[in-house]
Amino acid sequence: MRDKKTSNKSNLKLFVTILQKDIKTEIRQVNDIFSVILFGIISIFIFSSSYNTINLGSSMPIEIFVTQIWLIIFFTLIFIMIKLFVQEKERGTLDGLATSPVSKNILLTSKIVFCFILLSFIELILILFSFFISIPSTQALNHIEILYYILLGIVLPTLDLSVCGTLVSALSMYSKNKSFVLPLLLFPIILPITSPIISLNIKLLEGELLSLVLMEILFVVAHAILMFSILILVSEELLSE
Amino acid sequence: MSFNMNKSDRILLECDNVSKQYGFFFALNKISFNVKENTILGIVGANGAGKTTLIKILSGLRSPTSGKVLISGMNYKDNNRDIKRLIGTISSKSFLYEELSIYENLKFYSKLYSVYEKHEFKEKIEQYADKFNLSDWIFEPISYLSTGMKQKVEIIRILIHNPSILLLDEPFSGLDFNSIKLLIKILNDLRENENLTIILTTHKIEVIQQICDAILILKRGKINKFVPKTEMNKIKIESYF
Repeated sequence: MRDKKTSNKSNLKLFVTILQKDIKTEIRQVNDIFSVILFGIISIFIFSSSYNTINLGSSMPIEIFVTQIWLIIFFTLIFIMIKLFVQEKERGTLDGLATSPVSKNILLTSKIVFCFILLSFIELILILFSFFISIPSTQALNHIEILYYILLGIVLPTLDLSVCGTLVSALSMYSKNKSFVLPLLLFPIILPITSPIISLNIKLLEGELLSLVLMEILFVVAHAILMFSILILVSEELLSE
Repeated sequence: MSFNMNKSDRILLECDNVSKQYGFFFALNKISFNVKENTILGIVGANGAGKTTLIKILSGLRSPTSGKVLISGMNYKDNNRDIKRLIGTISSKSFLYEELSIYENLKFYSKLYSVYEKHEFKEKIEQYADKFNLSDWIFEPISYLSTGMKQKVEIIRILIHNPSILLLDEPFSGLDFNSIKLLIKILNDLRENENLTIILTTHKIEVIQQICDAILILKRGKINKFVPKTEMNKIKIESYF
């Protein structure tokens, strides 16, 4: 029992060490993140100005607002996926991790959390910016509804996307044509959750009851669990050449 | 094939009938040899002879198609983490993170091996930096360093967790004359003072003759010739490539 506790503690330490290293490395190459944020902001701006030109300044329907945001987030994920395993593999540092006594599951979990942190940070800026620029026709939500929207509409799908992104990044790192393989693999993996995520966001922004979004929540949770299980099951093969 | 030019008789590394096959191509074909404690073994051969593949298999980065590798009597399948604690690997690609400083890189890797208490990191890293004349650069990013300095940091990286075996893939490549001389001195010191077993690959025959206790010449994935120290000056090693 004590051995298990000690082992869990040391695993947690290793997890935190790898995560800290990833965050520190990312902060030192802040230009990469800026370029991703810039891409998102420009995309939102183009969407909004096109909509305003056609609809003469009327506020954007929630359906279009949510679709534009998640479309941009899906593309952003491709940029982040490169940072997870592909970049480490190309630089050779992944072998440094592979030759150290760190279990592959710890490595994968730390990459999922890193992807989640990075994606959440970018989403935060993009969603705030798009609320300001696109001015969606949402009704006034109370504090609880806003909390539900953040937790179930943003955090939960982001977690699912982070698992998918890590899986795809690990799957494609040995491929010769990574820029082609990454989106090609990501598309079928995230396709089943695009509709539930968008529907979940629309319903939550419309202030619907939780019981009415239960199916979407269950679908996203089930997808995340399935992808995580696949990731853990194939971790040995994924991280060996 | 077994050799030992020094004090101990303990076999530290056993390579038994190891083959690595890619499709129909044999990168390594039934390689067998033993390395005893406190020796330096040089592996030479023409490009594509299988040197790097052999180092990758010994370091656990790749699995052999057939045959077994035993390190201190343990195999990778059952004792992966224990074996990795015994080994320090330098690959042809650097394992160092360019954005992080020498201190941050070394702290990260020593944390992965969980060898020191929190307060010991700084002291230990400073000791090594002092020994390798890197004290003035310790808080500079790796990207600021010259190739020779980076190689010194790589050496510290693999020594910091007190390994028993060093696996060095082309450690002299890209180094100038003085840096090669310094690295030879460092490797000799490590063998003499730290009782380390070192296996290295290189194309520099003159270097390998200076420091190795024996040479393994690989040709098209097979051992073409085993040269003990006593025969090194009597034969023309290149003729066996």
